[in-house]
Amino acid sequence: MENQDTSRREFLLTGLMTTMATVGCSEKKNPFLPEKAVVLSGEKVKLLSVDGEIIEVDKAFLKPVPELPPVSIDESRKGIAGKKFVMVIDLARCKNLKYCQSSCNHMHQVHSSQNWMKIYEMQDSDNTAPYWQPTNCMHCDEPPCVKVCPVDATFKREDGIVLIDNVRCVGCRFCMAACPYSSRVFNWEPSDFKVEGEIKPYSPETSVPQKVGTVGKCDFCPDRHREGKLPYCVEACPNGVFFFGDMNEDVVTNGAETFRFSELIKDKAGYRLMEDLGTKPRVYYLPPVNRNFPFENGLENENVADKKKTSK
Amino acid sequence: MNRMKNNIHLTALLFILFTVPFIALAQKESVKNNVVLNLGYYMSNNRVMYLMANAKTKVEGKFKPANGITMRLFLGNDSSQNLIGKVITDQHGLAKAIIPPALKNKWNGSFKHSFLAISEANKQYESATAEASITKSKIYIDTVSDGVTRSVMAKVSSFDGIKWMPAAGVEMKIGISRAGGGILSVGEKETYTTDSTGTVTAEFNKKGLPGDEHGLFMIVAKVDENEFYGNLLVEKLVPWGVVVKPDNSFFDQRTLWSTRFKTPFWLLFMAYSIVIGVWGTIVYLIMQIIKIKKLGMENNVV
Amino acid sequence: MENSTSITSEQISLDLLPKKFGKRGMIWTGILVLICLVGMVGYYRQLRYGMVVTSMRDYVSWGIYISNFVFFVAISLVGSLITAIFRLANVKWATPLTRIAEIIAVSAIVFASLIIIVDMGRPERFLNLFLHGRIQSPIMWDVIVITTYFCISLLLLYFPLLPDLKILIKFKEKSSNALQKLYCFQGSFWKGTKAQYKISEKAINILCITIIPVAFSIHTVTSWLFATTYRPGWDSTNFGAYFISGAFLVGAGGVVVAMYIFRKYYNLEKYILEDHFEKMGKVVVLLALLYLYFNINEYMVPAFKMKKSEEAHLLELFTGDFAIMFWFAQIVGLIIPIFVLLFKKGRKPLPMFIIGIMVVVGAWFKRYLIVTPTLLNPFLPMQEVPASYHYYFPSWEEWAIAMGSLAGALLVITFFVRIYPIIPIQETITEQHEQDEK
Repeated sequence: MENQDTSRREFLLTGLMTTMATVGCSEKKNPFLPEKAVVLSGEKVKLLSVDGEIIEVDKAFLKPVPELPPVSIDESRKGIAGKKFVMVIDLARCKNLKYCQSSCNHMHQVHSSQNWMKIYEMQDSDNTAPYWQPTNCMHCDEPPCVKVCPVDATFKREDGIVLIDNVRCVGCRFCMAACPYSSRVFNWEPSDFKVEGEIKPYSPETSVPQKVGTVGKCDFCPDRHREGKLPYCVEACPNGVFFFGDMNEDVVTNGAETFRFSELIKDKAGYRLMEDLGTKPRVYYLPPVNRNFPFENGLENENVADKKKTSK
Repeated sequence: MNRMKNNIHLTALLFILFTVPFIALAQKESVKNNVVLNLGYYMSNNRVMYLMANAKTKVEGKFKPANGITMRLFLGNDSSQNLIGKVITDQHGLAKAIIPPALKNKWNGSFKHSFLAISEANKQYESATAEASITKSKIYIDTVSDGVTRSVMAKVSSFDGIKWMPAAGVEMKIGISRAGGGILSVGEKETYTTDSTGTVTAEFNKKGLPGDEHGLFMIVAKVDENEFYGNLLVEKLVPWGVVVKPDNSFFDQRTLWSTRFKTPFWLLFMAYSIVIGVWGTIVYLIMQIIKIKKLGMENNVV
Repeated sequence: MENSTSITSEQISLDLLPKKFGKRGMIWTGILVLICLVGMVGYYRQLRYGMVVTSMRDYVSWGIYISNFVFFVAISLVGSLITAIFRLANVKWATPLTRIAEIIAVSAIVFASLIIIVDMGRPERFLNLFLHGRIQSPIMWDVIVITTYFCISLLLLYFPLLPDLKILIKFKEKSSNALQKLYCFQGSFWKGTKAQYKISEKAINILCITIIPVAFSIHTVTSWLFATTYRPGWDSTNFGAYFISGAFLVGAGGVVVAMYIFRKYYNLEKYILEDHFEKMGKVVVLLALLYLYFNINEYMVPAFKMKKSEEAHLLELFTGDFAIMFWFAQIVGLIIPIFVLLFKKGRKPLPMFIIGIMVVVGAWFKRYLIVTPTLLNPFLPMQEVPASYHYYFPSWEEWAIAMGSLAGALLVITFFVRIYPIIPIQETITEQHEQDEK
């Protein structure tokens, strides 16, 4: 390689770069095994380095990764190895903007009268404070919906995500009766969503295209995760309400801020919905204290959204 | 007379009915949407340099990614020998190009560069341009340990045409790279800024943070949208994490929510014993019918 | 007894042989066929346009189809009650009623499975239940138990029919050639020998024992479709017993109605006696009291506590949108029958017939009340959905399909009566002989 002559001090090789290591840096001395790195494609690309040198790099390093084809149904039943996905929803930050909802509906081609992500106007009792509660699928660890599915159409993956295979689903709707969080919707008629561009083949990870006569719900966007991105709702929220991450890494992020999951839950007294049912959700909530917005701000958004809906 | 009037109304109505859609259609064709382009320079690990262009358009007062936009990217001005590449935005409105080896001489010719993106007009969108300029820079990361505390040191240097100089006042994140692109700060602060020597040191206080099965995780120093240097990233694997063995014991259980291949044994036992018991009886009874039939046939012979 | 003067076997056979439809029979059949056809049109529309033609939406995701399914399963339980339990308990007077009960059971269970397929969003994937069946799911338990119950009920219908088939074959001139072929295919081998009787008797005894746990299972498992969820109104440990007692009640009511109609239409006054009504009346009142007990249990205990999740549901039933239906089902379907049947005059054929209809209709609405109001009271508030998601009233397609399935079940019974003797001939003759000997 051309950059052999460059001094090594200046060329701090890092984990990723060890795979392209020069002769001088033998792998045995390096404790950082390259197995953490990207799977090599074997295809080399010539490019210009910042020093003005021409170097060869494996194509796999050129992030962002080119769009992956949707994962096969068998693959999406297994899940992403070594992950335990988790979501934290900070109720103190939500003002019912519904950007999460529209982004989710759009990307999952949800029927216009339905939502996978619902923002509930909650008030637990007469004298307690009202708050906005975004609710999606809880991806429970003891999922009541999966328990009752007669054909393995909805299933729990090793990364914690509960998905639906709408090629298998018979449409019995038992899962909808079983889910205490009302997070499942049924495709009563063909989706009225107009797909722009090419129609991709179906994968339970993308949940699209939707199929009439089958059940749908929030899928935690595992396809996005394979691309190294956050779920659509997390990305769409301008107030950073949603934090998403891997419990095995003990970190959640909303894109802008990143916290240690265990500390965040401890410091802000995180909780889960309907703990008494024993469903063990993978979605945690942070209580609506020290709010960023007064509750009433959300009401304005509620009205705007309602107007939009009626005008349609 | 009245009838005549009615007819006129009717014709007018028909005229409007027929022409309005055409006018609307024509308007749709003539009014194109504006595209807003953004161009960014990215450099990771002092090796790979690339440009990322982002195209957005305003739909109903909200910005949405514009996909399928063809644009050309140039180093310097828009002459053909400066062409970096021709790219098309994807569904997230993003397009990426690496700087090709052919531009080596041009790149080496200066320590400051500007980039230009020009999008082509198409049926939907007007043409648009975006610019970005940078000073050549490098970013380093290293670890320092005094036996008690661990720290991460990051350094940014910029090229002044002759030599690499420390770059002061560069804001960056120093943290642990995590799933979904999150960077968990190694220390207390959200961001760190380089001092006059171009360096910044952050103490590592994330004790007990899980790493991979070897206890490794990636620390990164990341500069976002710096006005002089663009976007810089450098990574380093460190063995500072707690060893986490992949544990699928929860998932591998035989439970009521497992797949049909992992049905709990007690349930299988119950189901099969009931089914075999009852259906055994049914089969026995059907055999009894056959027996009765045989008896009947024998009687016939007799 | 009124018919203590003995009737000859010949006369019994002639009285009980299936008869051709009269004018009224033709009209009845025609109406049933028509209702079925309308139901099929409804189902065609559902297949064509999707389940959006129903009024079910995300909250009320189970509607009239499922309540109809529960109704069918409930009424089918009577087969086991009249035939098996009475037989094992040596209750002789019920013999003429066994076949009525069995055919109600078979036709109801057939339409229970059909209505479940109608309720599926993807009926063409029905086979997935067998290809990818998951034994953890109560639906699979239901699939298994219903097929089993269907088979056992068919056998229980068939074994006692064998001697009658012989009689049917003997009276050739009374039936058409096609029917004769059917009879011969089904029972020409029955010669009535001692050995054959012995096997048959034993088989019927085994069947009677087997059918009881299976019958209990079908309705218990059906109740578990609800009780295995968390929903208020369904989350009850009592549900199996509650459903079974209700099922026996509606089944007995159904048998009473059928008894009355067959007796009237085929002039079977000599075989279905007033005494039968008297005794069935006592059975019905006993079952009604039992069901009343379970009802009090099911509504009183949660109402005493008024847990937040249960409160809205219970108030909706007691005083809210479903109050009229709820009190109708309780009063007309349960309390009035109890009061009427406690009196001897109430157990005469005509009042019994009316009470039977009240019980069956009340029971149908009761099933509706078990399914729908619960779904309208989810744990999280009903928000962010179109207004039509907030309530449920079945669309005409749903009514058509549900009524079509009821008509279909009646049609099966009607055709059965046309082909086979509805009162077991041979058994009646045997009993007559036994009485004469006394």
